[in-house]
Amino acid sequence: MIQTVAWMVSLFFMLVITVVFAFVALKSKEKQDYEPIKKKWYKARTFYGVTLVVLFLVITIYTLRELPYNQPVYSAGNDPTIVDVEALQFGWNISDTEFKVGEPIEFHVTSADVTHGFGIYDEELNLIAQTQAMPEYTNKVFITFDKPGTYEILCLEYCGLAHHLMIGTIEVTE
Amino acid sequence: MNTTINNKEITSNNGLIATYLIVGGVIIGIMMIFGILMLLAQGGVLDFSPAAFYQFLTIHGTGMVGAAALAAAGVMWYFLSHYVELSKKVFKINLLLSIIGVVMVIIGVFSFKYASAWTFLYPLPALSGGAWGTTGALLYLIGMLILGVGFLLLYIDTGRAIIKKHGSLGKGLGWDVISGKRAEKDAPSPTVVASTMVTIVNTTALTAGAIVLIMNIINVINPAFTFDPLLAKNLTFAFGHIFANSIIYMGVIVVYEILPRYTNRPWKSNRPFLIAWTMSTAFTLVIYTHHMLMDSVMPKWMLIMGQVLSYANGLPVLVVTAYGALMIVYKSGIKWDMASGLAFMSMFGWVVGVVPAIVDATIVVNHVMHNTKWVPGHFHMYMGLGAAVMLFSFIYYLSKVDSDLKPNGLDKFGFVIYALGMISVSVGFLISGALSTPRRWATHFPEWMAPAVFGAIGGVLAVLALTIFIIHFIRYVQVRGKTGSDMNEKKLA
Ligand code: HEM
Ligand SMILES: [Cu+2]
Ligand SMILES: [Cu+2]
Repeated sequence: MIQTVAWMVSLFFMLVITVVFAFVALKSKEKQDYEPIKKKWYKARTFYGVTLVVLFLVITIYTLRELPYNQPVYSAGNDPTIVDVEALQFGWNISDTEFKVGEPIEFHVTSADVTHGFGIYDEELNLIAQTQAMPEYTNKVFITFDKPGTYEILCLEYCGLAHHLMIGTIEVTE
Repeated sequence: MNTTINNKEITSNNGLIATYLIVGGVIIGIMMIFGILMLLAQGGVLDFSPAAFYQFLTIHGTGMVGAAALAAAGVMWYFLSHYVELSKKVFKINLLLSIIGVVMVIIGVFSFKYASAWTFLYPLPALSGGAWGTTGALLYLIGMLILGVGFLLLYIDTGRAIIKKHGSLGKGLGWDVISGKRAEKDAPSPTVVASTMVTIVNTTALTAGAIVLIMNIINVINPAFTFDPLLAKNLTFAFGHIFANSIIYMGVIVVYEILPRYTNRPWKSNRPFLIAWTMSTAFTLVIYTHHMLMDSVMPKWMLIMGQVLSYANGLPVLVVTAYGALMIVYKSGIKWDMASGLAFMSMFGWVVGVVPAIVDATIVVNHVMHNTKWVPGHFHMYMGLGAAVMLFSFIYYLSKVDSDLKPNGLDKFGFVIYALGMISVSVGFLISGALSTPRRWATHFPEWMAPAVFGAIGGVLAVLALTIFIIHFIRYVQVRGKTGSDMNEKKLA
């Protein structure tokens, strides 16, 4: 799951940073001339900087290969089900709420009043996809459910006092 | 070119500087209490109405950003005035306008139930679903506009002063040194470079903010006038992202100024340093689009740039600023006290806060973490453990050089519980985000409650610590000047 990966990666790098700062703090009471330190660590910085840039480039290329904005290529005869979603203070108008596992779906999401957020949650309450529900614009979510169950639609953009009560459901069956 | 401005003149401004810091610090403390209340409500410990929750959310976001920016402007002004000739009058006007703005915001929120969150995303101010009326919205929006005008005047003045001294804003960023026309030894000081960067990005941010505030004000008065919501959103996030981020770029000046004095090592602008700051200037202006990654109607190239440039924006701090701080401290025999300790902690907070930010700026991650509590998780580290700590560092520095007041064991205790408290608040948010908990929800499902309660406990520690810091600072203000101390900005360990 993406959230778990994100959390582990963040935790790892945050711990590395903590160790580095702690190390420097521990070594701060020793006293040495600055010039040799500068010389040595400027050299190290070049290496570190280049490594970081390369790391960022690799991750960028890796993570930009498949974007949630891209319409999937549908096989012949397997046209997507288009579902119109309209958010309003405070509820969801969804044109179709019953789907099959494996059925390609496009949610076309807009809003009748203010900006809302269309977030799809699975039965374990994990967020699996989202887009903004904006007045005058239509944002799309491309999704194919691979597990049956009751999914919840939660509002993910603050839209007024009943923001946290804007919960809808959709059913996915085998 | 003699850059020193005499000491008497400097200390005569300290009363005003202290006022900036006290107003900022006290507001931050009160806002922390609202933060704790929100976490307790989300954690199922307290039960109050959603209306109250969202008013707290609105005041906490607005108050924190406003107060931290105000105090950080005080820090920047204090040090920048050692290099260029700033207008004290404008500095006073900004304080006055800020206070007027804050009072209007408070009345709008608490007397007129205005609760759009600090992002006032169009057309929410006018369409509240009956929760608040025109008066509340106008008080809030006009209050914000007045606040913004105060800051805009301040940055126009810093820009004017920098141009007068250095020739242009480009030279304030050291472009002639980067291009080789001027020697590195004549480069503008880090304080001037950082101030130039903030001047550039914040005049832009405040202009965008003023435009979108005025658009909202017109729409509230006459709902028949409508605007493009996507344009409004771009302007709102350009304003909000840049302005909130500028706080740390103002605050870091204290780190540049005091670590060299504590370590007896120079921290000068060299070419990599100047390039890093020019990069920060450019990136800070454009990466607000990472707030719009979940708007697929935006041009796709802009969203991809949003990810790429957000990554790149991590480089200046990771490779230059934080690295420089570590290098200057390493084996320096530094004398640790509250000011130097907090300065070091703030750099740590800044860098750890960058990690979850970069992770979330990745489009595929953002797809399942945008608008979850991961987002406040990252910026409570960055702001609470980074920017705010720079302000506290300055408080202890100023009281050290401008009085003979000594911090005691209680202050050290404050240092420790602040770190523990703010780390708990932030980690609580990050865990919530990893569990998909939405942000800005008045109540949570039971599965999501535990990290909120954990964060609330951390919040209590942070408030206690801040109280200790503020008491120290108020004691300083009382003995300031009366001690006849000859310790001044020049004399320092
Ligand atoms: C005791 C320390 C703090 C606590 C307990 C706390 C708590 C909170 C909570 C519960 C939220 C709402 C989270 C949600 O979206 O569900 C929040 C949002 C926020 N906090 Fe804090 N906070 C603290 C310190 C700070 C500091 C030091 C700053 C900045 C200097 C800050 C700036 C913000 C901002 C800008 C928001 C966003 C408001 C919004 O979503 O509209 N907070 N905080
Ligand atoms: Cu909504
Ligand atoms: Cu909502």
